[in-house]
Amino acid sequence: MTDFQFSEEQRDCLQELVNVAMGLASDKLARYLNTLVHLQVPAIKLVKTEQLPEHFADRHQQQSVTMISLGFFGDQGLRGETIMLYQLENVGVIAKLLGYSDDDSSEAEMLTDISSVLTTTFLNGLAEQLDNSFSYAAPRILSSRDKHFAEKLASTAEQWQLALQVDIRYQLTDYSFNCDMILLIPGEAVLRLRLILDQILASF
Amino acid sequence: MALNALICDDSLLARNQLKKSLPAEFDANIVTASNGVEALATLRSQEIGLVFLDLTMPELDGIGVLEAIKADAMDCLVIVVSADIQPEMQKRVMELGALAFIQKPASAAKLADVMHKYGLI
Repeated sequence: MTDFQFSEEQRDCLQELVNVAMGLASDKLARYLNTLVHLQVPAIKLVKTEQLPEHFADRHQQQSVTMISLGFFGDQGLRGETIMLYQLENVGVIAKLLGYSDDDSSEAEMLTDISSVLTTTFLNGLAEQLDNSFSYAAPRILSSRDKHFAEKLASTAEQWQLALQVDIRYQLTDYSFNCDMILLIPGEAVLRLRLILDQILASF
Repeated sequence: MALNALICDDSLLARNQLKKSLPAEFDANIVTASNGVEALATLRSQEIGLVFLDLTMPELDGIGVLEAIKADAMDCLVIVVSADIQPEMQKRVMELGALAFIQKPASAAKLADVMHKYGLI
């Protein structure tokens, strides 16, 4: 069986690349929402995709969440999918701030817009550091206040061998806005990613 | 006598990147810290002339370090090297007394520019 684990050096390297990419995304979000975003150290861990639905069911059982996915495709086999999970407690506040009307379709539109800003900026920043370039599929909403959230997440996750879970907290100055970002990566892309990380590490 | 310089970043990669990108003519003894608490302990126990400071760190972040340096009137220069590039954050670190802000990953050319500008090389 193929070993997809990362060494401590590879994990540190990936965390720093993610940190830089997150900084770019946060700057974009701050300009988009006209506020200051407090960045936190990204927590990265590799999880088996079959564990994801249970993990997120536990984590979000008290809140409504919306899940937006974006597929990405890079050179040399680097590809995957990002999933943004939004807690909806403060969505109304953000919607008003951005001038969206107060209904579900606008909420979906707004979260899709924010996801596009965050994920494409994040992934472009990551790709640049990996000396790669990504193209993107159109974002899609997988679930919104859906009773079958866990099942939908499971059916998305099962297409991939490994999930690189990046816990990101975007805490805004004037109100709380939390979202989680998950990168789902197929096994061969993980192997490719590890090779690239080793090349980066070897250069320092 | 060579200057003592502190590189404070929670990432080993970032510390190594920065160390390697410093100008060859920068004559300094380099020490490192992996969070703000370690950085303050070093600053309080050694004579450090220059700090390269990350902002997003566990235990104590870079803002906390800058606030402590200012509160204790420590005699050291600080160059912030961070991925948190929001204009508001850059303004805040300068108000807290940082000499300069450099976006991560810090290029050798940018580091040399800033260090030359402030007479550090």
